[in-house]
Amino acid sequence: MSKGERTKTKSQSAREKIKAQQAEQRAREKRRKTITYVTAGAVAVAAVGLGWWYAASISRSEEATGALAPVTVQADGTAVMAKAGVTAPVVDIYEDFQCPACKELERVSGQTFKNLAAEGKAKVVFHPITIFSQEPTKSNSVRAGNAARCVADGKQWLAFHDLLFANQPSETEEGFKVDQLQQWGKEAGVSSPGFDQCVASNKNAQAHLAYSKKISDEQKLDHTPTVKLNGTEIDNQVLFSPSQLRDEITGAAK
Amino acid sequence: MTTVARLVLGGVLIAAGALKIGNPADSVVAVKAYQLLPESIAVAVGYALPILEIVVGVLLVVGLLTRVAAVIAALLMFAFVFGIGWAWAKGLRIDCGCFGGGGQLGAGQEPTYLLDILRDFGLVLLGAWVARFPPGRFALDGALGLGGDTHDEDEGDD
Repeated sequence: MSKGERTKTKSQSAREKIKAQQAEQRAREKRRKTITYVTAGAVAVAAVGLGWWYAASISRSEEATGALAPVTVQADGTAVMAKAGVTAPVVDIYEDFQCPACKELERVSGQTFKNLAAEGKAKVVFHPITIFSQEPTKSNSVRAGNAARCVADGKQWLAFHDLLFANQPSETEEGFKVDQLQQWGKEAGVSSPGFDQCVASNKNAQAHLAYSKKISDEQKLDHTPTVKLNGTEIDNQVLFSPSQLRDEITGAAK
Repeated sequence: MTTVARLVLGGVLIAAGALKIGNPADSVVAVKAYQLLPESIAVAVGYALPILEIVVGVLLVVGLLTRVAAVIAALLMFAFVFGIGWAWAKGLRIDCGCFGGGGQLGAGQEPTYLLDILRDFGLVLLGAWVARFPPGRFALDGALGLGGDTHDEDEGDD
């Protein structure tokens, strides 16, 4: 082996060694990057998951606890849900059967109102009104409002009320049609004589609109749902968080 | 440029998320209003959207996982463009406003679909830019050496 060849081999092996070292370094670097990347990603995903869980948990609805408090339909079209003798605190719910936010309120907090009334901790008053002034939402809302006024029995009224929200139509098309309303009436067990006829003739429409206007002016309502506790509006944030809502209402009872 | 895009896009996302995060019901109703998703999915999306916006926004602003965050942000914005376009095509009057504000849109008032679409589409482009040339200056990705291989060439971009 000549001297030159030896040097060449030597430097070759040295070069290979360096190469190997570099490769290892690169691999280590890559591992470190991967770990950092995955960690950051995991933290981000966890944060999203946590936020989602939190949002879902503060809007978790209460479970039905059993029998409902008695419901009485009033002459003015409102319905009172309260145990006998419970007169305070008063929770007034102003809602429009066609309003999506009202549907959401019923979905999230509807059960809380029912439970509180059943526990004798509140007197809940439903005020179905029409807040829409444009078509087709206005007529949809009025037809639904009329139909609710065709129900005389409180228990049936509440079941019908729940069905209306559950089946709320889109805001862009004609909905709450006469035959649908009659069908839901059947499902809710409505036994009032002439219910179908009452729904078809829309005979309470004027009374419903007049009440909507009167109560909106009196209570200065500019949006639905509006829920008042002893006359003071409850914050949306509280309204849509069943546990906070319960605290606020039971707090007012003391 | 990347840095500016990151800050703008991230800032918009954080603001949008922060406005909604206090009241999940609000965003659930908003998602449902588009009538794009089935009820149960709309609820889940409504709960997840605000926090997702904030997290992605923060990642963009600090420049961590820039490329991934930018892709998600661009997809989000694209989804909004699609949603608004859908609402427009179907003639939905999204700003139902029965929540909070003063009732629904007035008689002469039209939803500003075109403006919204242009704005969101611009944000899609910003997202795409950031995804193409991450991470820009003042980014944690750079500091942590997570910039990816295009890192060096892009230094001069902004």
